[in-house]
Amino acid sequence: MRSKSSKIVALLLALAVMASLAVGCAKTPAPAPTTPAETPTTDVKAAMVTDVGGLGDKSFNDLSYAGLQRAEKELGVKIQVLESKEPTDYESNINQLATAGYSPIFAVGFLMTDTVTKVAPQFPDVNFGGIDIFFDPVDSNVIGLNFKEQEAGYLAGVVAGKLTTMTDADPRINDKKVVGFVGGMEIPPVQKFEAGFVAGVKSVNPDVQVKSVYTGSFTDAQKGIEAGKSLIEGGADIVFAAAGATGNGTAKACKDNKALFIGVDSDQYNTIDGIGDTILTSAVKRVDNAVFMTVKEAVDGTIKGGENKIFGLAEDGVGLAPYHDWDAKMPQEVKDSVDKAKADVIAGTVTVPESK
Amino acid sequence: MPEQMADTPPNRAASTVDEKQFALEQERFQRGVRMATPFISVAIAVLVGSLVILASGKDPVAAFSAMFFGAFGGARQIGETLLRATPLVFTGLAVAYGFRSGLFNIGAEGQLFLGGLAAAFMGVALGGLSWMLSVPLILLSAMIAGAAWAFIPALMKAKLGAHEVITTMMFTYIGRYLVSWIVTGPFKAEGAIPQSPMIPASSQLPRISDVFTFIQPNRAHFGILIGVVAAIVVWWILKYTVLGYEARAVGFNPTAAETGGISVAATTIKSLCISGALAGLAGATEVMGVHYRLFDQFSSGFGFTGIAVALLAKNNPLGVVAAAILFGSLSAGAGTMQLEAGVSQKVISIIQGTIIFLVGAETIVSWAVSRVRRARGGADV
Repeated sequence: MRSKSSKIVALLLALAVMASLAVGCAKTPAPAPTTPAETPTTDVKAAMVTDVGGLGDKSFNDLSYAGLQRAEKELGVKIQVLESKEPTDYESNINQLATAGYSPIFAVGFLMTDTVTKVAPQFPDVNFGGIDIFFDPVDSNVIGLNFKEQEAGYLAGVVAGKLTTMTDADPRINDKKVVGFVGGMEIPPVQKFEAGFVAGVKSVNPDVQVKSVYTGSFTDAQKGIEAGKSLIEGGADIVFAAAGATGNGTAKACKDNKALFIGVDSDQYNTIDGIGDTILTSAVKRVDNAVFMTVKEAVDGTIKGGENKIFGLAEDGVGLAPYHDWDAKMPQEVKDSVDKAKADVIAGTVTVPESK
Repeated sequence: MPEQMADTPPNRAASTVDEKQFALEQERFQRGVRMATPFISVAIAVLVGSLVILASGKDPVAAFSAMFFGAFGGARQIGETLLRATPLVFTGLAVAYGFRSGLFNIGAEGQLFLGGLAAAFMGVALGGLSWMLSVPLILLSAMIAGAAWAFIPALMKAKLGAHEVITTMMFTYIGRYLVSWIVTGPFKAEGAIPQSPMIPASSQLPRISDVFTFIQPNRAHFGILIGVVAAIVVWWILKYTVLGYEARAVGFNPTAAETGGISVAATTIKSLCISGALAGLAGATEVMGVHYRLFDQFSSGFGFTGIAVALLAKNNPLGVVAAAILFGSLSAGAGTMQLEAGVSQKVISIIQGTIIFLVGAETIVSWAVSRVRRARGGADV
């Protein structure tokens, strides 16, 4: 009897051990495909590492991936994405991709600054791109991909500054000369959006007041609703939110309280369900373009590291999304002002400030 | 220990030799099942993960072999596994120590943040000192910070009866947002990024392969060795000291312990503070061995994963080390699995969840095992 029960336990243990061993043994026949291959230009393999936000963030991780997917379709490059579950993953993910022969490798988000700076010298033949990372110093195989958020914010400001006085254009526009801004955390990309927005509003109508609220969060939609409501109660009829998912709450507040909304990063007409004609446009950051262009340079063999690139209106790195449902009723005067502002910025006759 | 205390034969009335022997055997069998549950749970979880991978149209064998290779395939891979196991050893020990004294320290995450904060601050402050002095001082201050963060909930539990699940959880939020504010404001490094300054080399825990150069380069740092030492110390405290005896006694039956002359209030405070100190070490080793600075998201919920580690280890301090290495290997292998087999890393979360569920619902496993056994044993008795 005694031996029987211990036999069963032993059997169960053995099964558990075998199950885990079987997993390991199966590895032997499969040769490790980690030998770095000499990559001729037609054989470029591009990859990215997400930050802990992961894919599905409808923001820069997804946008970077969209850029890679476009490169896969149009240039025939092989693409790969590794998601990071925790900050510890950054270095091992980048390391694995570099060891597996991927180049360029994009690190998405400023949290990977230290990691890229540390790993890049170990792989001199691999190119690294950092989204929203300003490298200082910058290694010869590293490219910082940054954006002039202020220029996109500026165009959004032109739309808001013009439209808020045109009470005939839409019943939701009140007679108060007030527009609103909702920010996530007070970090440089958001502050640049705000500075550009304020400058844009003032450039077309110095009398219009911009009221700003920082929620301290990129994820809390409820805070976005409250911030939106308070701005609308304060007389704002148009609210620009640069606050990630918090901004989705602001969009809802605008819809519920009969105000107008301007989105950020991606074309939020497509990412917020049922937003319809509440949204005027979005101040977009073309992370996808920056990624695609960098991969294209790798394919063409013209890729050059050792610099921080800054993508603005001129490089098609930031811009204004289509007006969508507003396209028909947007006054021509507003559209013309936006086009003129864009031309001025590209020509360099207007320089948009980075800070207020 | 609670298990041993519970080991009285279930059937005292057994009069005949046969019945006695049956009861004994039954009990021995139950103990066997209890010991085997973690292993069975892991096996079932791997099976569930395989089904999910199969359902998504991928090859589970390829996926798991890639994962296994990514976790144990070489010095670099083993280093990754140990690196990820390190914080889980400490948080697992923290939660396990709490459980052993009847306390559910759900707030290890908050104590970890405070430990990390103390380590980053002291690491920078003690910059000029030799590492022989600064490293122990930093570890000590992280333990004090973690213990202090647990002390207030402990006091509230001991004096007011406020449940530690609520209070330690709430203190986690306070701790996290405190760190969030500190790295964006008063303790922010120069530059745009919200993070603390980097701690100097003398305050860092070096990588093992940097010191013992015959080991191939990998990221495992000395924190894992400190973790193993901590596990042995905790095991020793629980088994051989008055402190540990009192903790176990209160955990097993507070009323009996009080009657026996043990102060439940004092023991509660001591136990939760020790638990907090262990969690504080998790934050310190992450700062000193991995990131070399503090920032908002430096922990991805190690305090909460520590609960799963403690459960899987059945609150045995030495088992915690093994369970932490298992969870570390899942995390380390996930990237390779995605890279080579194209399987989403979310599968790893499914496996972890299944393990936790099965270990938590131990009775399900032992019920299933005894059903199988009865069906087979019936013929032979």
